[in-house]
Amino acid sequence: MKRKKSPIIPVVTWIIILAALAPVLWMLLISFKQRVDIISFSVLFKPTLENYKTVFQKYDFLRFILNSTIVVVATTAISVFLGTLAAYGLARFQFRKKESLAFGILSLRMLPPMAVVIPFFIMARYTHLLDTQLLLIIVYLGFNIPFTIWMMRGFIEDVSLSIEESAWLDGCTRLEGFCRVVFPSIFPGLAATSIFCFIQSWNEFALAFFLTSFNSRTVPTIVNSFISVLGVLWGEMAAVGVVSILPIVIFTMFVQKYLVKGLTMGAIKG
Amino acid sequence: MMLFKQREYLKYLLPALTVLALINIFPTFFLYIISLTNYDISQRVEDLSFVGLENYRYLFSIDKDFWKSICITLTYTFVSVTVELILGSAIALLFDANARFRKLKLSLFIIPMIATPSIIALMWKLILNAEYGVMNTFLRWMGCAGRNWLSTDFALVSLILIDIWQWTPYVTLMIYSGLQTVPQEPLEAADVDGASWFQKLVWIVLPHISTIVSITLLLKLIENLKSFDIVYNLTQGGPGNATELLSLHVFRLGFKQTHWLGRASACAVILLLIIIPIVSNLAKKISYSRESA
Repeated sequence: MKRKKSPIIPVVTWIIILAALAPVLWMLLISFKQRVDIISFSVLFKPTLENYKTVFQKYDFLRFILNSTIVVVATTAISVFLGTLAAYGLARFQFRKKESLAFGILSLRMLPPMAVVIPFFIMARYTHLLDTQLLLIIVYLGFNIPFTIWMMRGFIEDVSLSIEESAWLDGCTRLEGFCRVVFPSIFPGLAATSIFCFIQSWNEFALAFFLTSFNSRTVPTIVNSFISVLGVLWGEMAAVGVVSILPIVIFTMFVQKYLVKGLTMGAIKG
Repeated sequence: MMLFKQREYLKYLLPALTVLALINIFPTFFLYIISLTNYDISQRVEDLSFVGLENYRYLFSIDKDFWKSICITLTYTFVSVTVELILGSAIALLFDANARFRKLKLSLFIIPMIATPSIIALMWKLILNAEYGVMNTFLRWMGCAGRNWLSTDFALVSLILIDIWQWTPYVTLMIYSGLQTVPQEPLEAADVDGASWFQKLVWIVLPHISTIVSITLLLKLIENLKSFDIVYNLTQGGPGNATELLSLHVFRLGFKQTHWLGRASACAVILLLIIIPIVSNLAKKISYSRESA
């Protein structure tokens, strides 16, 4: 719905965007400040990389990143594989109660982390899985699989069935047909879905916080390392923030086109 | 194998469904069972005993903090969702009115939503610090009085403000994408008839995007009821229990002060019971939107 051209609208829009970005920009600024400068508000200060150096050397930030990467990559790969398979089943077959099943799956994504954390905690204690990467991978599958099923279902339904059927007539099996016809068309969707899984798992805090203690801590839980008796080490904290947000921001640029689809699990077109 | 011949779809669905049953449905079921026991973190599972609905009775009639936490959760949810919906829609209309750099603007605008929440929460803690936080400095510069943002009186307000900062972009993005699907012909016809911008909004645009608005609303309600990361890292439910949302109450009962996993589970079950009707409503809206798509 377009309105009359007015120069005020772009100005207001950019002010709003700037306001939304202000806290993140502030964090960026602080990450380059020396400890003494943090409390002052001057934008003019001698920038330093000291905070980044401390974080990697003293706090072993690299190990957090490594843990996060292992957990996130494994959980994304498994969910995308199982999810796409199930999505194909939902998209290409008709059966009784199909929609109820699909919504049942969708509702699993809505489980509050604090509701599943207690049973997971108890079960993990008895299987000696507490504080392992494997446990986090398993737990993260719980919200990533429903997500991939719904996303991929939409992408597969968009591929016309008749092309796939003509492949079968040419003697392809379902698997061959999927690989040759469906897969190339859904590839961008698959990539977007993987990125969304990546972002969700990368940012997850509650489950990681309660189910790990030392060996397999992930990036979001590092926040506790910076709260010392002397108060919060803001500079180091900000450096961690910048490093952890960077991959997410870059990745999100790639999935621009699918943002709405991803945020609603493909439940509405966008 | 006969089963797979007749019902080929099972071959595709079973692997995922089996995994989901094991890691989602089973633990949820387990949660209901623990909520009926006196289980304590220091206990062995063999030693727990069933106490029936005792934990629920405790929550409802003895634990005053539980009711307070319900009130806080509902206030937090309704206030932030309402403001976000209004503000987000207004910004979406603004974005829609000016198409230049559309992609860039949206990508920048959604950064609050995708940034790692636990880390963002600590940054807000610095920004809101009463003595040296940039928020108070900014307010004083504007000529207003600074506030003790994380004090008992203001902590919940701060949380709501942060939620609005974080999630308004979400509403904007959803509504904006809804606006893109509004057909042009009726709008042009309305122009011919001399309809005002506001009339077009109310009579043509709003009815068209009503489904997407309600889906956004429901998803956002669920998101708020679930919230934990920001609150935990900003206030841990405090000062006192001023910002103790239900999920924080679960945390306090089960992990922080007392180790009553049984009671904490009962509280988590209540949280689930509040969310379930919203989810089923969402399912209806989504199936409606899928059918009409």
